[in-house]
Amino acid sequence: MNPNNYLILAAILFTIGAFGVVIRRNAIIVFMSVEMMLNAANLAFASAAHTTGSLDGQVIAFFVMVVAAAEVVVGLAIIVTIFRTRRSASIDEANLLKY
Amino acid sequence: MSGESVVFWITGIFAVVGALGMIVSRKAVHSALWVAFAMVNLAILYFTLEAPFLATTQIVVYTGAVMMLFLFVLMIVGVDSSDSLLETLKGQRLLAILFGLAFGALLISAITSTISVRNNGLEVANGDYGGNIQGLAHLIFGRYLLAFEVTSALLITAALGAMVLAHRERWTPRKTHIEMSKERTFSNQVTPLPNPGVLARHNAVDTPALLPDGSPSQASLPVQFRETAQDSDNSKEVTS
Amino acid sequence: MKTSIEYAALAPIEILLTAGVLSILIEAFVPRIHRRTLQLFLVFGSIVVAFGYLVASATQILNGNASVTGGQTQGIRELAASGSVAIDGPGLFTQGTLLIVAFIGAMLFAERSVDPQGDAFAARASTLPGSEDERQFTAQGWTQTEVWPLFLFAVGGMLLFPVSNDLLTMFVALEVLSLPLYLLAGMARRRRLLSQEASLKYFVLGAFSSAFFLFGSALIYSIAGSVEFGTIATALTNTLQDPILLAGIGLIAVGLLFKVGAVPFHQWTPDVYQGSPTPLVAFMGAGTKIAAFGALFRTFYVAFGGMRWEWRPMMWVVAILTMLIGSILAVTQSDIKRMLAYSSVAHTGFILIALTATSPAGLSSSLFYLLAYGFTTLGLFAVVSIVRDSSGEATHLSQWAGLGKKSPLVASTFALFLFALAGIPLTSGFTAKFAVFAAGVAGGVTPLVIVAVISSAIAAFFYARVVVLMFFTPENENTADVVVPSYFTKVAIAVSATATLVLGIAPQPVLDAVVNAGLFVR
Repeated sequence: MNPNNYLILAAILFTIGAFGVVIRRNAIIVFMSVEMMLNAANLAFASAAHTTGSLDGQVIAFFVMVVAAAEVVVGLAIIVTIFRTRRSASIDEANLLKY
Repeated sequence: MSGESVVFWITGIFAVVGALGMIVSRKAVHSALWVAFAMVNLAILYFTLEAPFLATTQIVVYTGAVMMLFLFVLMIVGVDSSDSLLETLKGQRLLAILFGLAFGALLISAITSTISVRNNGLEVANGDYGGNIQGLAHLIFGRYLLAFEVTSALLITAALGAMVLAHRERWTPRKTHIEMSKERTFSNQVTPLPNPGVLARHNAVDTPALLPDGSPSQASLPVQFRETAQDSDNSKEVTS
Repeated sequence: MKTSIEYAALAPIEILLTAGVLSILIEAFVPRIHRRTLQLFLVFGSIVVAFGYLVASATQILNGNASVTGGQTQGIRELAASGSVAIDGPGLFTQGTLLIVAFIGAMLFAERSVDPQGDAFAARASTLPGSEDERQFTAQGWTQTEVWPLFLFAVGGMLLFPVSNDLLTMFVALEVLSLPLYLLAGMARRRRLLSQEASLKYFVLGAFSSAFFLFGSALIYSIAGSVEFGTIATALTNTLQDPILLAGIGLIAVGLLFKVGAVPFHQWTPDVYQGSPTPLVAFMGAGTKIAAFGALFRTFYVAFGGMRWEWRPMMWVVAILTMLIGSILAVTQSDIKRMLAYSSVAHTGFILIALTATSPAGLSSSLFYLLAYGFTTLGLFAVVSIVRDSSGEATHLSQWAGLGKKSPLVASTFALFLFALAGIPLTSGFTAKFAVFAAGVAGGVTPLVIVAVISSAIAAFFYARVVVLMFFTPENENTADVVVPSYFTKVAIAVSATATLVLGIAPQPVLDAVVNAGLFVR
């Protein structure tokens, strides 16, 4: 099988994730879309590790998981804080700074 | 078709379906479940890519920890918080679709136009250290040791940040047992409050107990169900 | 495989991160009343020690093995931590600049005389804005000393970011510097809703852009088989697989250009600058830009240097858009922090000229520019933090009318910083812009320099507008007051103003230093 198929799958998932960030307005779903993008990058790293025959890609994917876990904690803490203040997780309602 | 390509096409299509399900679901919980579904499928793909350690970590960390954290937060924020899919910026979605398609097409054409002749596989790399996990360990604690050490700063920051933003402290000292019993003794109500539903027709929590004179006792109800509290409480209801 | 970390070469980073861990221990075990004092000692002490170590080791290595080839000093070149980190002249200079910025930034963080309620951060960030809890904590004078560990980790990440020599270390450093900043952005004492919103926007867009950086790294890795810059550079010269490489370079550029705030990835800047606590804006606005430009230069000069003819057209477009849109949108702002945010976008564009020039002069002029810009930004926001009315900082431009009569010293200092931003002679901004423009002309990007001159002229208009407003408009009942700060802010403003003048009048020693810093190690 053509090894590029994995990269193409990763690119499709990445695009869908990026698309979700742009069109969804619930902060939590936006954030899930970012996680989807990171997963797509991980898939690309794992498949590239396979094609290039080096383990670095797998190690990097592992690091990305650790970093993503930390990022999720911080992000969800910020979202919960905003929610407690406003009782809403919609990005559109967070618009005091626009004028 | 080889076994690898069968697995690829099935799980690959499932992963894309999961990702699409995430962005079209109205309810955030459904989105979260779709993402978890896509992540499990990616884990299966990691197995076909000779990355068993990564596949296991993917399931444990992503579907097990990260997505569960998302679900916890969704429960805090309100399960039925659903997103209206109406556009607020006119034409934004159409523009986003066009840009998204163009971006994806560009990315995919860039990848397909690259003729990848190499498919080295990982036998050699794994063989150097006697296995996949041993090889990863050599890299993590060798070549990438600095990144590994610096990651600890990241985890500390995350824990500290969650605590700063979410941990509520007391601004008064906590009452001791002695203070509480003194307070109770000198208050008007030394005995416990009556239970709801006592001597009444139902024993549901929202049914006030009847006092000896037959009048309902509001004090027997939980605060949320008391008549005086009820009217003002409606405004505090969680909006979604 | 060799498992070694050259701790001596990495000392500044290690000192700051260790101080961060100690600072957590202080939070955990020291009684509340002593925490602030101890934290201040720890923060200033660690920055000073790290800076002293940096200067000492830089001079030692420079005297020891500086090699001169073809009249050009090569400076310090060494790879550390198995190739994860590059210790070289530009990297060390950037680290030094960052430590200076961190020191002055910490002074602004420590200030608690300008707000009658305490420092610039919420008494407890976990309390609901407007709640009884918040009032009680504020009235009892609680302060959130947890800002100090967060600050130290952010500085540690910033120090690592510009010297990372592979894409993974760079990604980890990017997150280490960003996560504390996302958190700190949401912790303002006043106008907390705005602050939390700024934090959310900064976080969502920051995570979005770091995902782009990562996917780009994956594409590059799929061709090069390594994420190390040196290996990537060799692999790129040996392959003709252009499209996927271009896609990878473009995606990495998105991630890095977001951090420096270049158009079209600048949308977060005005919101975050306006909503976040002002000391944080001063530190973040200067520090992030310096660190991210350090990383941007290293990535594009070392790893992608061989493909400069492919990425230069993209940088042309980004530089032109950044300069013009930054300057034009700054003119329309009525809030001083928002205006300064857009002006920072315009300055990003000027530094991008140096990047596009792809020459040693481009690199050294950008190092000078970043140093000068760091001092100016810190000074500007330090002044913004002491111009207040009863509800907090007076950021609306109309409240600055007649400030020159009310408080001539503060207003003239602010005018000095504005002149530096505008690039008036005898200020650091003039020297910096001159160096960058000269490097641009020599590097063959003259059209960019012409656009830069035009946008400087547009920018001069709104800087002049603020100066006119301060000095030639009568005072009215809306005019804000100038609070007398403690020595922390006084010294911060004085140092920034002195540096702005010195770098304008006698810049030669520093200009020599940036040239002597030499080139990146490959």
